[in-house]
Amino acid sequence: MSITKPTQQGTFTLSKYKPVLWLLPFIAFFYLFQIAPMIWVLINSFIYDGEWTIENYSEIFDSAFILQGFSNSLWISFWSSFIGLILAAILVSSLRHLNSRIRDAIVAFTNMSSNFSGVPLAFAFIIILGTNGAVTLLLRQWGLLGDFDLYSKSGLLALYIYFQIPLGALLLYPAFDALKKDAYEASQLLGASSRQYWMKIGLPILSPALLGTFIILFANAIGAYASVYALTNGNYNMVTIRIASLVSGDLFLEPNLAAAISALLMLLLAVITAVNQWLIARSYHG
Amino acid sequence: MDNNNLFFHKSVVYGLSGLLFIPILATLIYSFSSSWGATMLPDGFTFKWYTQLLTDPRFLEAFGRSLFICISSLILAMVLVLPMIFVVFYYYPALDKVMNILILLPFAVPPVVSSVGLLQLYADSSVQLVGTPWILIGTYFTIALPFMYRAISNSFTSINLRDLVDAAHLLGASTTKAYLLIILPNLKKGLLASTFLSFSFLLGEFVFANILVGTRYETLQIYLYNMRQTSGHFTSALVMTYFAFIFVCTWLATRFSKGNE
Amino acid sequence: MSYVKVSQLAKHFGDVTVFEEIDFTIEKGEFITLLGPSGCGKSTLLRSLAGLNQVDAGEIWVDQENITDTAPQSREIGMVFQSYALFPNMTVLDNVAFGLKMKGINKAKARAEAKSMIELVELDGKEQFYPRELSGGQRQRVALARALVVKPRILLLDEPLSALDAKIRKSLRLQILKIQRELNLTTVFVTHDQEEAMLLSDRIFLMNEGAIVQQGKPEDIYTKPVNEFVASFMGHYNLIEAETANQWFNLDSQQKVAIRPESIYIREAGRQYGDHISVAKQGTVLSHQLLGNVIRYSIEVEQKALTVDLLNRSSERLMAAGSSLELMFNLNEIQPVRA
Repeated sequence: MSITKPTQQGTFTLSKYKPVLWLLPFIAFFYLFQIAPMIWVLINSFIYDGEWTIENYSEIFDSAFILQGFSNSLWISFWSSFIGLILAAILVSSLRHLNSRIRDAIVAFTNMSSNFSGVPLAFAFIIILGTNGAVTLLLRQWGLLGDFDLYSKSGLLALYIYFQIPLGALLLYPAFDALKKDAYEASQLLGASSRQYWMKIGLPILSPALLGTFIILFANAIGAYASVYALTNGNYNMVTIRIASLVSGDLFLEPNLAAAISALLMLLLAVITAVNQWLIARSYHG
Repeated sequence: MDNNNLFFHKSVVYGLSGLLFIPILATLIYSFSSSWGATMLPDGFTFKWYTQLLTDPRFLEAFGRSLFICISSLILAMVLVLPMIFVVFYYYPALDKVMNILILLPFAVPPVVSSVGLLQLYADSSVQLVGTPWILIGTYFTIALPFMYRAISNSFTSINLRDLVDAAHLLGASTTKAYLLIILPNLKKGLLASTFLSFSFLLGEFVFANILVGTRYETLQIYLYNMRQTSGHFTSALVMTYFAFIFVCTWLATRFSKGNE
Repeated sequence: MSYVKVSQLAKHFGDVTVFEEIDFTIEKGEFITLLGPSGCGKSTLLRSLAGLNQVDAGEIWVDQENITDTAPQSREIGMVFQSYALFPNMTVLDNVAFGLKMKGINKAKARAEAKSMIELVELDGKEQFYPRELSGGQRQRVALARALVVKPRILLLDEPLSALDAKIRKSLRLQILKIQRELNLTTVFVTHDQEEAMLLSDRIFLMNEGAIVQQGKPEDIYTKPVNEFVASFMGHYNLIEAETANQWFNLDSQQKVAIRPESIYIREAGRQYGDHISVAKQGTVLSHQLLGNVIRYSIEVEQKALTVDLLNRSSERLMAAGSSLELMFNLNEIQPVRA
């Protein structure tokens, strides 16, 4: 209850609840387009042929194909988040040493490039790194690139890392404010080397932010669909591609199986978030 | 800081940003070149692809549809969110915590997962929704919600909401007048910043558009995807046009959010 | 009948009583201060007068009209907030003219009235400035002008000076007082600063734990505290247990007594003290604090440390720790107080 609710005494009791009416349209739309679909997914993942069962789930664990989708998604999400996070952290920590004009410009550029994702990004990659891409041809001519193939795991990884870096940098940038210059100077006066400073002070201070950013990058990657769909026409086996093809593909539609995969995906995200929260709680508190 | 170190940090920053810039730059060059093979530089420069794109009625229509959907969903979001935040902050401040969790849902639940439910729930609705722009407008409201709630609630905490409304009441204004004359004008910057930010985000939305509507109502992203078989130069021009638009939106968003400080 | 009459006013938040059994009257043109420590209920009481809080019981009458259930919009009460509460999107002129516009007064007339009010608070020339371009003191003067321009029946000031620095505070409170006298405004001022309260008020209502513990003229409240709380809140009173007091001063008190630091004197050779009203005690200086024009000594008398204020006349007369001296107590200035 709010302490100084400005309702007036003596007025009609209904007017006390009038503010709630203003919430109703919002609640209705949020329910219809956010909550209800989630509930549908959870409920229908347990329905098969009109009956309550865990059939859909057992089908997932019996299907090497779907499991491969999960493992591909996990592999790409983990490595793209990990590498993206490291590159973003390096970028941000160096960025803090430059003067404010360059810093602002780079932050603005990063902000902008974080919007360069999905279909347009996939096309840009196809244009420059595809089979007949300008850069591919150039690098091949010079004998570089080896067996790199944009449409394979390594190509996808490169694409994912590309969109993880700006996002990671934007999320980490404010966190690096916690690293005060005087802490570094104090550690130097006490005889610590740069390496010791980072191991004993810098990283422990940053660890909650790094873990938190990692989880966001991971969730971002595992839920990504547009880039991989546009790059491979939906031919690379990832979990989001599996879900989408079961509800909107041209072949057999199995929405309830899609619901079960979706529910597992959400469970996976929930578990990872929980582990992450536990790690953050254990680490240094700022 | 000695010069060696500064040089090192500069190289790192420019190196990594350069890496991020390469695909954008290459696409830009590609969109202006008549052909580009295995050479350092393209063979010739041309505006042909842009002329072709900008005179393609299908592109213009798709662009128009995207604008319609994005603007409609932003208006819907404003109409729903503005009174909601005021009620939360003025009457039920404790609800802010709940809202901060709720607005994470559109981020936390992957669009693919939401679209599974949406597709089944509204496939047989009495008013046709699936395959029409209306379902996208409703869905895009949830995408814009976190941006708007964050930005506007920041504006709310930066003004002393209760005292302002109290002062207005004592000077004879009703709550509605106080909201329209005093609160709303102070939300302008946060609202504009979050609107442009959401706009650029919505314009790039592909998953819902593809699964819920697809080619039945071809938006910019769907058009882009359907053009994948055409010339790479043409799609580059398309990507760059889109990107220029996004660039303007993000620039406007940062401008307005800076002015807010 | 008094201009403002409040009777048996009470307010609770859930199980917590904010204030209860509040009774007072205010005459037209009086400057009243609600004084008390933070959390004593003074701000909530003020907001209840404004109609910004409902009350649970009691009545508020202004100018023979019961306004207990009247909406804040129609109470004709002006208020100045600690946070200024200026509308950030409006210029000084628009802020001041806002209340007039809400009344439906035409634009030209509203502007003219707002302008003359801005002049009254000495901000002419700042009409087109936005609040963020003004200093704290200037902002509060705009807030004052905005509250005054609609000619309120009562002006409420909710700690209007607390957010300002000491120098501005001093000049602004004098300005407030000057305007209040000029317009003969019935004013209720809330503060936790007893010095400010004594300087400004015709009468002080001293509040503690949701009740008015003493009301009266500043000088009476200062010199005749009714209980320990008032004594300790109003000054650096020395509180002495009844037993000790009876023994020292040959009294027959059931209550503690309070003695102000400035009504204890140091015996000076060759000076006459009225024997029938004075009691002398032997003491030892423990320490001293320099407060500028006053030196505050801590002096031990029979294992009891007393605070004694002396005018700071010259540094030669400063008494070092350990010095022995004789203290004189004036029996007329010893005040028995309730617990």
